[in-house]
Amino acid sequence: MATRAMTPPARAQAVDRSVARLFEAFDRVPVAAVIRHAEDLPRALASQVPAIFFVRAPAFHLGPLVWAVQARGKMAFVHIDLIAGLGKDRAGVAFLAREIGVNGIITSHSALVAAARADRVIAVQRLLLYDDLGLHSAMTAVEHARPDIVEVQPAVIFPLVVDQIRARHPVPIIVGGFVTEPHQREAALERGARAVSTSTVSLWP
Amino acid sequence: MRTPGLSGAMLPAIRDSNTLHQALDLGYRQLLVERGSLLAMVGPLAGAARQGVAIFVNLDAVEGLAADSAALAFLATDLGFSGVLSVKPHLLRDASRFRLRTVQRIHALDSTGLETGLNSVGQPAPYAIAIAPAVAIPQVMPTIRESTNVPVWGTGFITTTDQAAAVLAAGADVVSSAELKLWREFRGARIGD
Repeated sequence: MATRAMTPPARAQAVDRSVARLFEAFDRVPVAAVIRHAEDLPRALASQVPAIFFVRAPAFHLGPLVWAVQARGKMAFVHIDLIAGLGKDRAGVAFLAREIGVNGIITSHSALVAAARADRVIAVQRLLLYDDLGLHSAMTAVEHARPDIVEVQPAVIFPLVVDQIRARHPVPIIVGGFVTEPHQREAALERGARAVSTSTVSLWP
Repeated sequence: MRTPGLSGAMLPAIRDSNTLHQALDLGYRQLLVERGSLLAMVGPLAGAARQGVAIFVNLDAVEGLAADSAALAFLATDLGFSGVLSVKPHLLRDASRFRLRTVQRIHALDSTGLETGLNSVGQPAPYAIAIAPAVAIPQVMPTIRESTNVPVWGTGFITTTDQAAAVLAAGADVVSSAELKLWREFRGARIGD
């Protein structure tokens, strides 16, 4: 892809393959399970979701959880901004990517998106849309950081901003934040989200 | 505190002298300086405050002020503003020492973040909490009320009558918008109507 012209070929191929694999899976089951409490993990492992997002997990006890996810043929993503105990920097990203072997990293920070790309894991950049000014600066950050995927939060904002995002930058979008009812999941998918992320167990197929 | 608090349910969000004057011309006695350079409109703002207009400042977004005690002293003592908003609890604690009303901003982006934000609400209780984006309030009000009973303001992404009405109907006391059209429509709306 032209947007990857600056990326070393090896990284581009490896990550593009795993991004493609993720989206093939999302085309079948467009849901990522967000794990807020460890006790929800068995339900997520038993579900058909192709991806599991860890938020707020303790970094140095994350390995076995991630490996259990991958043993089920699912992809494990870690939200580094909220992980306790881990530096929000290149070394923190490298730990997750190299020592634990996560499939992807979720962050709102452009510098960490770049670090994730350098470490050859999928980079998901969260757009934290709490006001309309935030949209402009967040899109500038996305254009600069070039994540593999953008996650728009909260979901209720997505219909209000989807056209502006698409006009600015072509990037696959997943939607999360207060998705607790089936109709909210369907609404996001109808507007072009590739998947929704939710911690509501009943929404995991 | 001798400065005025809020009584209207619509809080006009202003960003420059033009929008400031539009809100005042509509008869508003309360304003939120949401963004822009506060210093570029400091004269008209101080004038409005002297005439008893309640002025609140979003410290996380306005330009020209440091997030420190000197800035808070300027707002409270020199300008006579009514209060400040911030996501930072320590800044609000400082602000209360200057007898500014404190409004804890909380980002409602997902359940995890909302929980963290609600847990950051300190003691003494703030004058209000401001939920952003406000359009999430109908969904998150039950969660908020499990955690706190302080008044709720909604700020961010409010551009239509329906959105503003839904936020108030969900139990928010105050909704803030930068839309002149909504300032006209909600001019007479009182808190608790």
